[in-house]
Amino acid sequence: MSSLLEVRGLAKQFGSLRALDGVDLDVAQGSLTGLIGPNGAGKSTAFACIAGAEKPTAGSVRFRGDEIAGLAYHRVAALGIGRTYQIVQTFADMTVLEATTTGALLHHPRLADAIAHAEEVLAFVGLADMRYRLGRALTIADKKRLEMARALATQPALLLLDEVMAGLTPAEAHDAVDLLRRILARGVTVLMVEHVMEVLMPIAEHVVVIAAGKTIFSGTAADAVRDAGVVEAYLGSPLEHGEITGHAT
Amino acid sequence: MTARPHLFALAAIVVAGLLAALGVRSAVVLDLVFTLLLYAVLGQSWNWISGYAGNISFGHAIFFGCGAYASALCVTHGLSPWLAIPAGALAAALLALVTGFPTLGLRGHYFSIATIAVAALVEVFVRTSPALGKANGFELPIASGWAAMQFPQKGPYVMLALALFAIVQLATIALERSRLGYYLRALRANHAAAASVGIDERRYKLIAFAWSAAMAAAAGVLYAQYTLFVDPPSTIALAVSIDIALIGVVGGIGTLWGPLAGALVYVVLAKAVALRMGGTGKGYDLVIYGAIICVIAALRPYGIVGTIVDALRRRRGASVAVPTAGTAA
Repeated sequence: MSSLLEVRGLAKQFGSLRALDGVDLDVAQGSLTGLIGPNGAGKSTAFACIAGAEKPTAGSVRFRGDEIAGLAYHRVAALGIGRTYQIVQTFADMTVLEATTTGALLHHPRLADAIAHAEEVLAFVGLADMRYRLGRALTIADKKRLEMARALATQPALLLLDEVMAGLTPAEAHDAVDLLRRILARGVTVLMVEHVMEVLMPIAEHVVVIAAGKTIFSGTAADAVRDAGVVEAYLGSPLEHGEITGHAT
Repeated sequence: MTARPHLFALAAIVVAGLLAALGVRSAVVLDLVFTLLLYAVLGQSWNWISGYAGNISFGHAIFFGCGAYASALCVTHGLSPWLAIPAGALAAALLALVTGFPTLGLRGHYFSIATIAVAALVEVFVRTSPALGKANGFELPIASGWAAMQFPQKGPYVMLALALFAIVQLATIALERSRLGYYLRALRANHAAAASVGIDERRYKLIAFAWSAAMAAAAGVLYAQYTLFVDPPSTIALAVSIDIALIGVVGGIGTLWGPLAGALVYVVLAKAVALRMGGTGKGYDLVIYGAIICVIAALRPYGIVGTIVDALRRRRGASVAVPTAGTAA
Protein backbone atom coordinates (compact mmCIF):
# COMPACT_ATOMS: atom_id res chain seq x y z
CA MET A 1 0.00 0.00 0.00
CA SER A 2 1.26 3.43 -0.90
CA SER A 3 0.97 6.46 1.35
CA LEU A 4 -1.81 8.86 0.51
CA LEU A 5 -0.60 11.30 3.14
CA GLU A 6 2.96 11.73 4.35
CA VAL A 7 3.73 14.16 7.14
CA ARG A 8 7.35 14.84 8.09
CA GLY A 9 8.74 17.03 10.84
CA LEU A 10 5.56 19.05 11.19
CA ALA A 11 6.02 21.97 13.59
CA LYS A 12 3.72 24.76 14.67
CA GLN A 13 4.62 27.67 16.86
CA PHE A 14 1.94 29.89 18.42
CA GLY A 15 3.90 32.83 19.82
CA SER A 16 6.14 31.29 22.44
CA LEU A 17 4.19 28.04 22.53
CA ARG A 18 5.51 25.18 20.43
CA ALA A 19 2.29 23.22 19.85
CA LEU A 20 3.88 20.80 17.37
CA ASP A 21 7.51 19.89 17.41
CA GLY A 22 8.17 17.18 14.88
CA VAL A 23 5.08 15.17 13.97
CA ASP A 24 5.63 12.37 11.46
CA LEU A 25 2.81 10.26 10.18
CA ASP A 26 1.81 8.20 7.17
CA VAL A 27 -1.66 7.33 6.08
CA ALA A 28 -1.84 4.40 3.69
CA GLN A 29 -4.27 4.57 0.80
CA GLY A 30 -7.56 2.97 1.82
CA SER A 31 -6.68 2.60 5.49
CA LEU A 32 -8.16 3.91 8.69
CA THR A 33 -5.34 5.45 10.68
CA GLY A 34 -5.80 6.66 14.21
CA LEU A 35 -4.06 9.70 15.62
CA ILE A 36 -4.12 9.58 19.38
CA GLY A 37 -2.46 11.27 22.30
CA PRO A 38 -3.26 12.73 25.67
CA ASN A 39 -5.02 16.08 26.08
CA GLY A 40 -2.95 18.93 24.77
CA ALA A 41 -0.63 16.67 22.77
CA GLY A 42 -1.27 18.66 19.61
CA LYS A 43 -3.69 16.35 17.78
CA SER A 44 -6.10 19.06 16.71
CA THR A 45 -3.25 21.40 15.76
CA ALA A 46 -1.70 18.66 13.63
CA PHE A 47 -5.08 18.19 12.02
CA ALA A 48 -5.47 21.90 11.37
CA CYS A 49 -2.02 22.02 9.75
CA ILE A 50 -2.78 19.05 7.51
CA ALA A 51 -6.19 20.42 6.47
CA GLY A 52 -4.76 23.87 5.82
CA ALA A 53 -6.71 25.68 8.53
CA GLU A 54 -3.36 26.58 10.10
CA LYS A 55 -0.06 27.15 8.33
CA PRO A 56 2.68 24.95 9.79
CA THR A 57 5.83 26.72 10.94
CA ALA A 58 8.01 23.97 9.51
CA GLY A 59 7.78 20.52 8.04
CA SER A 60 6.23 18.91 5.05
CA VAL A 61 2.76 17.58 4.26
CA ARG A 62 2.55 15.49 1.12
CA PHE A 63 -0.81 14.47 -0.27
CA ARG A 64 -0.73 12.07 -3.23
CA GLY A 65 2.96 12.99 -3.45
CA ASP A 66 2.38 16.73 -3.75
CA GLU A 67 3.51 19.21 -1.13
CA ILE A 68 0.45 20.93 0.36
CA ALA A 69 1.86 22.47 3.54
CA GLY A 70 0.91 26.14 3.69
CA LEU A 71 -1.70 26.01 0.92
CA ALA A 72 -4.89 28.02 1.48
CA TYR A 73 -7.51 26.10 3.43
CA HIS A 74 -10.08 26.01 0.64
CA ARG A 75 -7.48 24.76 -1.85
CA VAL A 76 -6.56 21.81 0.35
CA ALA A 77 -10.25 20.93 0.52
CA ALA A 78 -10.54 21.21 -3.25
CA LEU A 79 -7.59 18.82 -3.65
CA GLY A 80 -9.53 16.11 -1.85
CA ILE A 81 -9.10 16.41 1.91
CA GLY A 82 -12.36 16.65 3.82
CA ARG A 83 -12.66 17.18 7.53
CA THR A 84 -14.93 17.41 10.53
CA TYR A 85 -14.37 19.54 13.61
CA GLN A 86 -13.86 18.53 17.22
CA ILE A 87 -16.37 21.22 18.18
CA VAL A 88 -19.08 20.85 15.58
CA GLN A 89 -19.17 23.65 13.01
CA THR A 90 -22.49 23.51 11.24
CA PHE A 91 -24.01 26.07 8.89
CA ALA A 92 -26.59 26.90 11.56
CA ASP A 93 -29.32 28.44 9.45
CA MET A 94 -29.12 25.94 6.62
CA THR A 95 -31.15 22.77 6.45
CA VAL A 96 -29.34 19.44 6.51
CA LEU A 97 -29.86 19.10 2.76
CA GLU A 98 -28.66 22.63 2.05
CA ALA A 99 -25.50 22.18 4.12
CA THR A 100 -24.69 18.89 2.42
CA THR A 101 -25.47 20.41 -0.97
CA THR A 102 -22.97 23.16 -0.20
CA GLY A 103 -20.32 20.46 0.08
CA ALA A 104 -21.51 18.72 -3.08
CA LEU A 105 -21.26 21.95 -5.09
CA LEU A 106 -17.47 21.60 -5.07
CA HIS A 107 -17.57 18.98 -7.81
CA HIS A 108 -21.14 19.52 -9.05
CA PRO A 109 -21.40 23.19 -10.02
CA ARG A 110 -25.02 22.81 -11.20
CA LEU A 111 -27.34 23.01 -8.21
CA ALA A 112 -29.65 20.23 -9.38
CA ASP A 113 -26.69 17.82 -9.68
CA ALA A 114 -25.35 18.93 -6.31
CA ILE A 115 -28.71 18.37 -4.63
CA ALA A 116 -28.97 14.91 -6.19
CA HIS A 117 -25.50 14.02 -4.94
CA ALA A 118 -26.27 15.46 -1.50
CA GLU A 119 -29.43 13.31 -1.31
CA GLU A 120 -27.30 10.24 -2.02
CA VAL A 121 -24.79 11.15 0.67
CA LEU A 122 -27.56 11.83 3.20
CA ALA A 123 -29.07 8.43 2.50
CA PHE A 124 -25.62 6.90 2.93
CA VAL A 125 -24.99 8.48 6.34
CA GLY A 126 -28.57 7.92 7.48
CA LEU A 127 -29.77 11.52 7.63
CA ALA A 128 -32.24 11.37 4.74
CA ASP A 129 -35.24 11.74 7.06
CA MET A 130 -33.79 14.90 8.57
CA ARG A 131 -33.00 16.67 5.34
CA TYR A 132 -35.37 19.61 5.86
CA ARG A 133 -34.34 20.19 9.47
CA LEU A 134 -32.09 23.05 10.37
CA GLY A 135 -28.53 22.07 11.24
CA ARG A 136 -28.77 23.78 14.61
CA ALA A 137 -31.85 21.73 15.58
CA LEU A 138 -30.04 18.38 15.45
CA THR A 139 -28.70 16.29 18.32
CA ILE A 140 -24.93 16.20 18.82
CA ALA A 141 -24.70 12.76 17.21
CA ASP A 142 -26.66 13.95 14.17
CA LYS A 143 -24.65 17.17 13.93
CA LYS A 144 -21.50 15.06 13.75
CA ARG A 145 -23.14 12.92 11.12
CA LEU A 146 -24.07 16.08 9.20
CA GLU A 147 -20.46 17.22 9.33
CA MET A 148 -19.42 13.87 7.88
CA ALA A 149 -22.09 14.17 5.20
CA ARG A 150 -20.95 17.67 4.29
CA ALA A 151 -17.32 16.51 4.06
CA LEU A 152 -18.21 13.34 2.14
CA ALA A 153 -20.25 15.38 -0.32
CA THR A 154 -17.03 17.04 -1.47
CA GLN A 155 -15.90 13.54 -2.55
CA PRO A 156 -12.65 13.58 -0.61
CA ALA A 157 -9.90 11.01 -1.06
CA LEU A 158 -8.90 11.55 2.56
CA LEU A 159 -11.32 12.25 5.37
CA LEU A 160 -10.00 13.80 8.58
CA LEU A 161 -12.29 13.09 11.52
CA ASP A 162 -11.69 15.03 14.73
CA GLU A 163 -13.12 13.16 17.73
CA VAL A 164 -16.31 12.08 16.02
CA MET A 165 -17.04 9.67 18.84
CA ALA A 166 -16.75 12.15 21.69
CA GLY A 167 -20.00 12.76 23.54
CA LEU A 168 -21.89 9.91 21.88
CA THR A 169 -23.95 7.33 23.74
CA PRO A 170 -22.79 3.71 23.32
CA ALA A 171 -25.57 3.08 20.79
CA GLU A 172 -24.66 6.18 18.80
CA ALA A 173 -20.98 5.25 18.93
CA HIS A 174 -21.86 1.81 17.59
CA ASP A 175 -23.71 3.43 14.66
CA ALA A 176 -20.77 5.76 14.07
CA VAL A 177 -18.35 2.81 13.87
CA ASP A 178 -20.68 1.13 11.41
CA LEU A 179 -20.73 4.29 9.31
CA LEU A 180 -16.93 4.48 9.41
CA ARG A 181 -16.68 0.94 8.07
CA ARG A 182 -19.01 1.81 5.22
CA ILE A 183 -17.02 4.98 4.45
CA LEU A 184 -13.87 2.85 4.20
CA ALA A 185 -15.67 0.37 2.00
CA ARG A 186 -16.38 3.26 -0.39
CA GLY A 187 -12.64 3.65 -0.85
CA VAL A 188 -12.26 6.80 1.26
CA THR A 189 -9.12 6.85 3.38
CA VAL A 190 -9.64 8.01 6.95
CA LEU A 191 -7.37 9.70 9.47
CA MET A 192 -9.11 9.90 12.77
CA VAL A 193 -8.21 11.79 15.91
CA GLU A 194 -9.39 10.18 19.11
CA HIS A 195 -8.67 10.97 22.70
CA VAL A 196 -10.00 7.67 23.95
CA MET A 197 -7.89 4.80 22.68
CA GLU A 198 -10.52 2.11 23.18
CA VAL A 199 -12.62 3.61 20.42
CA LEU A 200 -9.87 3.16 17.87
CA MET A 201 -8.59 -0.24 18.94
CA PRO A 202 -11.10 -2.36 17.02
CA ILE A 203 -11.16 -0.30 13.81
CA ALA A 204 -7.79 1.32 13.22
CA GLU A 205 -5.22 -0.71 11.31
CA HIS A 206 -2.54 1.74 12.15
CA VAL A 207 -2.07 4.09 15.07
CA VAL A 208 0.13 7.13 15.46
CA VAL A 209 0.62 8.44 18.97
CA ILE A 210 1.72 11.98 19.63
CA ALA A 211 2.64 13.53 22.94
CA ALA A 212 3.91 17.03 23.66
CA GLY A 213 3.82 17.83 19.94
CA LYS A 214 6.00 14.90 18.84
CA THR A 215 5.28 11.54 17.29
CA ILE A 216 6.25 8.96 19.88
CA PHE A 217 4.83 5.82 18.34
CA SER A 218 3.67 4.51 15.01
CA GLY A 219 2.43 0.97 14.55
CA THR A 220 -0.52 -1.31 15.21
CA ALA A 221 -3.06 -0.51 17.88
CA ALA A 222 -2.20 -3.71 19.75
CA ASP A 223 1.48 -2.72 19.91
CA ALA A 224 0.60 0.84 20.94
CA VAL A 225 -0.97 -0.22 24.24
CA ARG A 226 2.08 -2.30 25.09
CA ASP A 227 4.55 0.44 24.20
CA ALA A 228 6.23 1.81 27.31
CA GLY A 229 6.50 5.34 25.90
CA VAL A 230 2.81 5.44 24.99
CA VAL A 231 1.75 4.13 28.37
CA GLU A 232 3.88 6.72 30.06
CA ALA A 233 2.54 9.54 27.93
CA TYR A 234 -1.02 8.58 28.73
CA LEU A 235 -0.74 7.45 32.32
CA GLY A 236 2.44 9.06 33.57
CA SER A 237 5.41 7.12 34.94
CA PRO A 238 4.79 3.75 36.55
CA LEU A 239 3.75 4.17 40.11
CA GLU A 240 4.86 2.39 43.22
CA HIS A 241 2.70 -0.59 43.95
CA GLY A 242 -0.39 0.34 45.92
CA GLU A 243 -0.13 4.05 45.24
CA ILE A 244 -3.38 4.06 43.35
CA THR A 245 -6.41 1.91 43.35
CA GLY A 246 -8.80 1.54 40.50
CA HIS A 247 -7.86 2.11 36.93
CA ALA A 248 -7.17 5.15 34.91
CA THR A 249 -7.87 5.65 31.27
CA MET B 1 -36.74 23.73 -6.33
CA THR B 2 -39.86 25.83 -6.35
CA ALA B 3 -39.12 29.27 -7.64
CA ARG B 4 -42.69 29.33 -8.92
CA PRO B 5 -44.46 31.15 -6.06
CA HIS B 6 -41.80 33.83 -6.18
CA LEU B 7 -42.15 34.21 -9.92
CA PHE B 8 -45.94 34.49 -9.60
CA ALA B 9 -45.56 37.11 -6.88
CA LEU B 10 -43.11 39.05 -9.01
CA ALA B 11 -45.39 38.84 -12.05
CA ALA B 12 -48.28 40.14 -9.95
CA ILE B 13 -46.20 43.05 -8.74
CA VAL B 14 -45.08 43.85 -12.30
CA VAL B 15 -48.68 43.80 -13.56
CA ALA B 16 -49.87 45.98 -10.67
CA GLY B 17 -47.00 48.36 -11.24
CA LEU B 18 -47.70 48.61 -14.96
CA LEU B 19 -51.38 49.31 -14.30
CA ALA B 20 -50.35 52.03 -11.87
CA ALA B 21 -47.84 53.50 -14.33
CA LEU B 22 -50.44 53.60 -17.11
CA GLY B 23 -53.62 54.31 -15.19
CA VAL B 24 -52.79 56.39 -12.14
CA ARG B 25 -52.74 60.13 -12.71
CA SER B 26 -51.77 61.20 -9.21
CA ALA B 27 -48.16 62.35 -9.19
CA VAL B 28 -48.01 61.79 -5.44
CA VAL B 29 -48.94 58.13 -5.74
CA LEU B 30 -46.58 57.54 -8.66
CA ASP B 31 -43.77 59.25 -6.78
CA LEU B 32 -44.45 56.92 -3.88
CA VAL B 33 -44.37 53.84 -6.11
CA PHE B 34 -41.18 54.97 -7.85
CA THR B 35 -39.45 55.65 -4.54
CA LEU B 36 -40.64 52.34 -3.15
CA LEU B 37 -39.23 50.40 -6.11
CA LEU B 38 -35.97 52.33 -6.11
CA TYR B 39 -35.44 51.70 -2.40
CA ALA B 40 -36.36 48.05 -2.85
CA VAL B 41 -33.66 47.74 -5.53
CA LEU B 42 -31.12 49.47 -3.28
CA GLY B 43 -32.13 47.26 -0.37
CA GLN B 44 -31.73 44.14 -2.51
CA SER B 45 -28.35 45.33 -3.77
CA TRP B 46 -27.25 45.75 -0.16
CA ASN B 47 -28.80 42.39 0.69
CA TRP B 48 -26.47 40.53 -1.68
CA ILE B 49 -23.30 41.41 0.16
CA SER B 50 -24.69 42.20 3.61
CA GLY B 51 -27.65 39.81 3.84
CA TYR B 52 -26.65 36.71 1.94
CA ALA B 53 -22.89 37.05 2.41
CA GLY B 54 -23.13 38.65 5.86
CA ASN B 55 -20.70 41.55 5.37
CA ILE B 56 -22.65 44.56 6.63
CA SER B 57 -21.93 47.54 4.39
CA PHE B 58 -22.42 51.09 5.67
CA GLY B 59 -21.03 52.63 2.53
CA HIS B 60 -23.42 51.42 -0.11
CA ALA B 61 -24.37 54.93 -1.18
CA ILE B 62 -21.06 55.30 -3.02
CA PHE B 63 -22.20 52.64 -5.51
CA PHE B 64 -25.56 54.37 -5.86
CA GLY B 65 -23.53 57.53 -6.41
CA CYS B 66 -21.48 55.88 -9.17
CA GLY B 67 -24.69 55.51 -11.17
CA ALA B 68 -26.06 58.95 -10.32
CA TYR B 69 -22.79 60.66 -11.23
CA ALA B 70 -22.35 58.52 -14.36
CA SER B 71 -25.76 59.74 -15.44
CA ALA B 72 -24.92 63.37 -14.69
CA LEU B 73 -21.58 63.12 -16.50
CA CYS B 74 -23.07 61.39 -19.54
CA VAL B 75 -25.88 63.90 -19.90
CA THR B 76 -23.74 66.99 -19.31
CA HIS B 77 -21.20 65.68 -21.84
CA GLY B 78 -23.83 65.12 -24.49
CA LEU B 79 -23.91 61.35 -24.16
CA SER B 80 -26.98 59.14 -23.78
CA PRO B 81 -28.04 58.52 -20.17
CA TRP B 82 -28.61 54.89 -21.20
CA LEU B 83 -24.84 54.62 -21.50
CA ALA B 84 -24.65 55.59 -17.82
CA ILE B 85 -26.20 52.26 -16.82
CA PRO B 86 -23.32 50.05 -18.04
CA ALA B 87 -20.71 52.75 -17.33
CA GLY B 88 -21.96 53.43 -13.80
CA ALA B 89 -22.41 49.73 -13.08
CA LEU B 90 -18.89 48.98 -14.29
CA ALA B 91 -17.40 51.83 -12.25
CA ALA B 92 -19.28 50.67 -9.16
CA ALA B 93 -18.22 47.05 -9.68
CA LEU B 94 -14.57 48.10 -10.05
CA LEU B 95 -14.82 50.25 -6.94
CA ALA B 96 -16.29 47.26 -5.10
CA LEU B 97 -13.50 44.96 -6.28
CA VAL B 98 -10.75 47.41 -5.35
CA THR B 99 -12.18 48.21 -1.92
CA GLY B 100 -13.46 44.69 -1.26
CA PHE B 101 -10.19 42.91 -1.98
CA PRO B 102 -8.46 44.01 1.23
CA THR B 103 -11.60 44.35 3.37
CA LEU B 104 -14.00 41.48 2.63
CA GLY B 105 -11.99 39.06 4.74
CA LEU B 106 -12.31 41.30 7.79
CA ARG B 107 -14.35 39.75 10.58
CA GLY B 108 -17.13 41.15 12.69
CA HIS B 109 -17.63 44.89 12.57
CA TYR B 110 -14.31 45.63 10.92
CA PHE B 111 -15.69 45.32 7.43
CA SER B 112 -18.50 47.73 8.29
CA ILE B 113 -16.02 50.25 9.66
CA ALA B 114 -13.90 49.90 6.54
CA THR B 115 -16.94 50.61 4.33
CA ILE B 116 -17.66 53.78 6.31
CA ALA B 117 -14.03 54.87 5.88
CA VAL B 118 -14.03 54.16 2.15
CA ALA B 119 -17.32 56.02 1.71
CA ALA B 120 -15.97 59.01 3.62
CA LEU B 121 -12.91 59.08 1.36
CA VAL B 122 -15.06 58.88 -1.75
CA GLU B 123 -17.24 61.71 -0.49
CA VAL B 124 -14.22 63.94 0.17
CA PHE B 125 -12.90 63.09 -3.29
CA VAL B 126 -16.18 64.01 -4.96
CA ARG B 127 -16.61 67.20 -2.93
CA THR B 128 -13.18 68.42 -4.03
CA SER B 129 -13.14 67.19 -7.61
CA PRO B 130 -14.05 69.91 -10.15
CA ALA B 131 -14.87 67.30 -12.79
CA LEU B 132 -17.51 65.89 -10.42
CA GLY B 133 -19.06 69.24 -9.62
CA LYS B 134 -17.47 69.53 -6.17
CA ALA B 135 -20.02 70.12 -3.41
CA ASN B 136 -22.53 71.72 -5.76
CA GLY B 137 -23.10 68.65 -7.90
CA PHE B 138 -24.95 68.75 -11.18
CA GLU B 139 -28.25 69.97 -12.49
CA LEU B 140 -29.17 67.84 -15.46
CA PRO B 141 -30.37 69.71 -18.55
CA ILE B 142 -34.05 69.16 -19.20
CA ALA B 143 -35.03 66.98 -22.11
CA SER B 144 -37.86 64.63 -22.94
CA GLY B 145 -38.41 61.17 -24.37
CA TRP B 146 -37.09 57.64 -24.02
CA ALA B 147 -33.76 58.44 -25.69
CA ALA B 148 -33.07 61.09 -23.05
CA MET B 149 -34.58 58.92 -20.28
CA GLN B 150 -36.58 61.91 -19.12
CA PHE B 151 -40.35 62.26 -19.05
CA PRO B 152 -42.82 64.99 -18.21
CA GLN B 153 -45.04 62.44 -16.44
CA LYS B 154 -44.00 60.00 -13.78
CA GLY B 155 -45.54 56.90 -15.39
CA PRO B 156 -42.51 55.99 -17.54
CA TYR B 157 -40.21 56.40 -14.54
CA VAL B 158 -42.33 53.89 -12.65
CA MET B 159 -42.02 51.52 -15.61
CA LEU B 160 -38.24 51.85 -15.61
CA ALA B 161 -38.05 51.32 -11.86
CA LEU B 162 -40.37 48.35 -12.21
CA ALA B 163 -38.15 46.84 -14.91
CA LEU B 164 -35.05 47.29 -12.76
CA PHE B 165 -36.83 45.87 -9.73
CA ALA B 166 -37.96 42.83 -11.74
CA ILE B 167 -34.44 42.22 -13.07
CA VAL B 168 -32.93 42.50 -9.61
CA GLN B 169 -35.54 40.18 -8.08
CA LEU B 170 -35.04 37.63 -10.88
CA ALA B 171 -31.29 37.81 -10.33
CA THR B 172 -31.83 37.23 -6.62
CA ILE B 173 -34.15 34.28 -7.25
CA ALA B 174 -31.37 32.87 -9.44
CA LEU B 175 -28.80 33.65 -6.74
CA GLU B 176 -30.73 31.65 -4.16
CA ARG B 177 -30.64 28.69 -6.52
CA SER B 178 -27.00 28.92 -7.50
CA ARG B 179 -23.64 27.83 -6.23
CA LEU B 180 -22.84 31.48 -5.45
CA GLY B 181 -25.93 31.83 -3.26
CA TYR B 182 -25.21 28.65 -1.31
CA TYR B 183 -21.57 29.60 -0.88
CA LEU B 184 -22.44 33.09 0.38
CA ARG B 185 -24.85 31.68 2.96
CA ALA B 186 -22.26 29.12 4.03
CA LEU B 187 -19.62 31.83 4.41
CA ARG B 188 -22.01 33.94 6.45
CA ALA B 189 -22.84 31.02 8.72
CA ASN B 190 -19.29 29.78 9.29
CA HIS B 191 -16.32 30.86 7.22
CA ALA B 192 -13.98 28.15 8.54
CA ALA B 193 -16.42 25.35 7.83
CA ALA B 194 -17.04 26.92 4.42
CA ALA B 195 -13.32 26.80 3.62
CA SER B 196 -13.28 23.15 4.68
CA VAL B 197 -15.63 22.31 1.79
CA GLY B 198 -13.45 24.19 -0.66
CA ILE B 199 -15.10 27.62 -0.72
CA ASP B 200 -12.75 30.46 -1.62
CA GLU B 201 -14.12 33.25 0.57
CA ARG B 202 -12.46 36.17 -1.17
CA ARG B 203 -13.43 35.04 -4.65
CA TYR B 204 -17.13 34.51 -3.99
CA LYS B 205 -17.54 37.58 -1.81
CA LEU B 206 -15.86 39.75 -4.44
CA ILE B 207 -18.26 38.43 -7.07
CA ALA B 208 -21.24 39.20 -4.82
CA PHE B 209 -19.89 42.63 -3.91
CA ALA B 210 -19.33 43.57 -7.55
CA TRP B 211 -22.88 42.55 -8.55
CA SER B 212 -24.28 44.29 -5.52
CA ALA B 213 -22.47 47.52 -6.45
CA ALA B 214 -23.59 47.29 -10.08
CA MET B 215 -27.25 47.01 -9.05
CA ALA B 216 -26.99 50.03 -6.78
CA ALA B 217 -25.41 51.99 -9.64
CA ALA B 218 -28.29 51.16 -11.98
CA ALA B 219 -30.67 52.54 -9.34
CA GLY B 220 -28.47 55.63 -9.17
CA VAL B 221 -28.93 56.29 -12.89
CA LEU B 222 -32.72 56.14 -12.54
CA TYR B 223 -32.58 58.41 -9.53
CA ALA B 224 -30.52 61.04 -11.34
CA GLN B 225 -32.84 60.98 -14.35
CA TYR B 226 -35.84 61.31 -12.05
CA THR B 227 -34.68 64.16 -9.83
CA LEU B 228 -32.42 65.78 -12.46
CA PHE B 229 -30.19 66.84 -9.63
CA VAL B 230 -27.12 65.04 -8.28
CA ASP B 231 -25.04 66.22 -5.36
CA PRO B 232 -23.11 64.52 -2.53
CA PRO B 233 -25.75 64.75 0.25
CA SER B 234 -28.48 63.21 -1.91
CA THR B 235 -26.38 60.36 -3.33
CA ILE B 236 -23.13 59.37 -1.61
CA ALA B 237 -23.53 60.70 1.94
CA LEU B 238 -23.34 58.42 4.98
CA ALA B 239 -27.02 59.14 5.70
CA VAL B 240 -27.98 57.55 2.37
CA SER B 241 -25.81 54.51 3.12
CA ILE B 242 -27.51 54.10 6.46
CA ASP B 243 -30.98 54.37 4.91
CA ILE B 244 -30.05 51.60 2.47
CA ALA B 245 -28.76 49.38 5.25
CA LEU B 246 -31.81 50.00 7.43
CA ILE B 247 -34.17 49.02 4.62
CA GLY B 248 -32.30 45.76 4.32
CA VAL B 249 -32.33 45.11 8.06
CA VAL B 250 -35.98 46.00 8.65
CA GLY B 251 -37.23 43.86 5.79
CA GLY B 252 -35.12 40.87 6.67
CA ILE B 253 -31.50 40.21 5.83
CA GLY B 254 -30.78 37.39 3.42
CA THR B 255 -34.40 37.08 2.26
CA LEU B 256 -35.77 37.55 -1.25
CA TRP B 257 -38.68 39.85 -0.34
CA GLY B 258 -37.13 41.53 2.68
CA PRO B 259 -35.85 44.60 0.82
CA LEU B 260 -39.30 45.29 -0.67
CA ALA B 261 -40.90 44.94 2.77
CA GLY B 262 -38.26 47.21 4.29
CA ALA B 263 -38.71 49.79 1.54
CA LEU B 264 -42.48 49.68 2.05
CA VAL B 265 -42.15 50.41 5.76
CA TYR B 266 -39.66 53.16 5.04
CA VAL B 267 -41.68 54.92 2.34
CA VAL B 268 -45.07 54.57 4.03
CA LEU B 269 -43.70 55.80 7.31
CA ALA B 270 -42.00 58.81 5.78
CA LYS B 271 -45.15 59.75 3.83
CA ALA B 272 -47.54 59.15 6.70
CA VAL B 273 -45.56 61.32 9.04
CA ALA B 274 -45.17 64.04 6.42
CA LEU B 275 -48.92 64.02 5.71
CA ARG B 276 -50.04 64.06 9.34
CA MET B 277 -47.55 66.52 10.65
CA GLY B 278 -46.59 68.48 7.58
CA GLY B 279 -43.45 70.58 7.77
CA THR B 280 -43.45 70.63 11.56
CA GLY B 281 -43.17 66.86 11.72
CA LYS B 282 -39.82 66.70 10.03
CA GLY B 283 -37.71 64.05 11.67
CA TYR B 284 -40.56 62.24 13.43
CA ASP B 285 -40.47 59.48 10.83
CA LEU B 286 -36.83 58.93 11.70
CA VAL B 287 -37.69 58.67 15.39
CA ILE B 288 -40.37 56.06 14.70
CA TYR B 289 -38.09 54.31 12.25
CA GLY B 290 -35.33 54.25 14.84
CA ALA B 291 -37.72 52.66 17.32
CA ILE B 292 -38.64 49.95 14.78
CA ILE B 293 -34.96 49.24 14.19
CA CYS B 294 -34.38 48.86 17.93
CA VAL B 295 -37.28 46.42 18.25
CA ILE B 296 -36.11 44.38 15.26
CA ALA B 297 -32.51 44.33 16.41
CA ALA B 298 -33.58 43.16 19.86
CA LEU B 299 -36.34 40.69 19.00
CA ARG B 300 -36.34 39.78 15.32
CA PRO B 301 -32.88 39.95 13.82
CA TYR B 302 -34.14 38.44 10.57
CA GLY B 303 -36.62 41.28 10.01
CA ILE B 304 -40.17 41.19 8.72
CA VAL B 305 -39.76 38.51 6.07
CA GLY B 306 -37.49 36.40 8.27
CA THR B 307 -40.16 36.42 10.94
CA ILE B 308 -42.85 35.32 8.48
CA VAL B 309 -40.66 32.49 7.16
CA ASP B 310 -39.99 31.42 10.73
CA ALA B 311 -43.71 31.45 11.57
CA LEU B 312 -44.48 29.30 8.50
CA ARG B 313 -41.76 26.91 9.55
CA ARG B 314 -43.24 26.61 13.03
CA ARG B 315 -46.76 26.09 11.72
CA ARG B 316 -45.72 23.23 9.52
CA GLY B 317 -43.73 21.68 12.32
CA ALA B 318 -40.00 21.43 12.68
CA SER B 319 -39.67 18.13 10.87
CA VAL B 320 -40.96 19.54 7.59
CA ALA B 321 -39.45 22.97 7.95
CA VAL B 322 -39.79 25.28 4.98
CA PRO B 323 -36.39 25.45 3.32
CA THR B 324 -35.30 29.05 3.08
CA ALA B 325 -33.95 28.77 -0.41
CA GLY B 326 -33.47 26.45 -3.27
CA THR B 327 -34.01 23.01 -1.89
CA ALA B 328 -37.75 22.78 -1.48
CA ALA B 329 -39.00 19.39 -2.54
